[in-house]
Amino acid sequence: MAPAGGSRTRADWPARLAGSARWLFLTAYLVAVVFPMCWVFYTSAKTTQQIYKSPFGLPKVITAPGRANAEPLVRNYRKAWTGSHFGQYFVNSLIVVSVSLVGVVLLGSMAAYVLARFEFRGRNAAYFLFLCGLLIPMQLVLIPLFFQFSDMGEGLTHLLAPAARAMGLGNLTVSLHDSHAGLILIYIAFSLAFTVFTLTSFFRTLPGELREAAMIDGAGEYRIFFSVMMPLGKPGIVTIAIFNFLGLWNEYLFGLVFLSSDKLKTLPLGLASISMQAQYKSDFGLLFAALVISMAPTILVYIILQEKLTRGITVGALKG
Amino acid sequence: MKNRGQNLFIATFLGPPLLLYAVFVLMPAVNAFRYSLTRWDGLGSASWVGLANFRAILASGSEFLPAIGHNLFLTFVPGVGILSLALFFAYSIHQRIRGGRLYRVAFFFPNVISGVAVALLWVLIYSTSDVGLLNGLLKLMGHTDPIPFTESGRLLWAIVPMSIWSGTGFFMVLFLAAMENIPETYYEAAKLDGASSAVQFRSITLPLMWDVLTTGIVFLVVGGLKFFDAVYVMENGRPSGSTHTMSTLMYSKVFQEYNVGYGTAISVMLFLLVLAATAASLRLMRRERLEY
Repeated sequence: MAPAGGSRTRADWPARLAGSARWLFLTAYLVAVVFPMCWVFYTSAKTTQQIYKSPFGLPKVITAPGRANAEPLVRNYRKAWTGSHFGQYFVNSLIVVSVSLVGVVLLGSMAAYVLARFEFRGRNAAYFLFLCGLLIPMQLVLIPLFFQFSDMGEGLTHLLAPAARAMGLGNLTVSLHDSHAGLILIYIAFSLAFTVFTLTSFFRTLPGELREAAMIDGAGEYRIFFSVMMPLGKPGIVTIAIFNFLGLWNEYLFGLVFLSSDKLKTLPLGLASISMQAQYKSDFGLLFAALVISMAPTILVYIILQEKLTRGITVGALKG
Repeated sequence: MKNRGQNLFIATFLGPPLLLYAVFVLMPAVNAFRYSLTRWDGLGSASWVGLANFRAILASGSEFLPAIGHNLFLTFVPGVGILSLALFFAYSIHQRIRGGRLYRVAFFFPNVISGVAVALLWVLIYSTSDVGLLNGLLKLMGHTDPIPFTESGRLLWAIVPMSIWSGTGFFMVLFLAAMENIPETYYEAAKLDGASSAVQFRSITLPLMWDVLTTGIVFLVVGGLKFFDAVYVMENGRPSGSTHTMSTLMYSKVFQEYNVGYGTAISVMLFLLVLAATAASLRLMRRERLEY
């Protein structure tokens, strides 16, 4: 800090030097973070031969835009999307993640609302059980879950088949191994602990008078929840939904263990398998295009919801 | 009457989530302890072996002890870089430097990308073919022989810059949020006393964000203990003894060697380590907490 009235004197030079050094460092780091990303994007528009010839060079479609030069780009993405099934993986990710998100947000806010707003016997025990989940690594659950999945499928069949028959849906068999339904149930169950933990403290902060007012107006508990509390809880729910979206979209280990057929794979699984298989190792155009397809959705969400997303991803840490 | 209606409401709202959570998380977690005391190939009947699996994984010459070492390496070597860079970036942005918002948005970027995509991106950066960004740079500098950065002997070191690259943004945002919570008046008072920026950082910022710093360390350690994606992908699904982490070892013991009891014992050890790390940092946090 320069003393008031004193302009930039010689005494300032260490501070200015430090300032410049800091600027230089921050900028260098900025390049290190951003450049590899740009590199992946623009390289996905080059043929493998072009990549070999000049690995850093910009693709022709950027230096000389035109239909002919866009051809490698189109070919790489077409090859990734249909030839290597990334279109299928993309749709699979979309199905698994969106159904899981709806499930975890709905079940999580139901449990959190009850735990935050009602007094009843066993409430602390239930809350404590959810808290335990924060400390359980997925690795601990993975193996027993894998070997119990067939029993659980049978159990669910027993549980749901009568209802399905009653509803005229015919004979229902639930199989959890190598199915999206199985993975979705795991994703929901595993995301519940953190979701319930965060939303419970969020629902506690909402004013209680609203519920009483709605009750006087004759609304039942269910109506109060769906038409008063859920809308009020939207900021917290959106934050936790974004947090879960990122975690689930990028999840790899559960998928690796529970999905085996290619047509069911999610994006991280598809990406890992082409990057591990020798036959694709030299088709760089394809690899770069596949990488872009996998990264694009979360990057897009980040660009659109940037503030909310950073809040979402750090929410637990600041509360805890 | 009203009370019965309310109890029914509580049961229908809490029941389904609790049941799902109990069946898919709590029950398997408890069963893991049972599995870890058996020898089982996943198909036939399991035989009870007591603590034999734990004796085996902790015996000298087992693959488990080096795997813990690799986890600790992958936690602390990048961890030091991540924490110091994140603190430096957060503090710089907190001081309202020009372009602060750009730095914040850009530095966080890699955190939204999946571990698998990050691993593949770095495989391409490190590639020994002409594609490799890093070997390309070395070639421009006159170094002709490409360096195989990702071969087993070097892989853990190669993961260090990758982890720093992909992890720093999260901790920066976390620390920045903590710094913004510190009342401005403390800094004003310190400035009146003529405290330099470095002194202010040491005696105001750091102590007042201690809780968040500890939380950050817990995240870092727990993440390091669970490390899986990059090692598994970069080793093509077959990590070797010199690269296995606890998670990849557990995976290959169970799903490639069908040694279920042994693999589950590893997951139990992993759980206990996560528990110990969390408990230790919570204690540290409580002792050092400053009220303000």
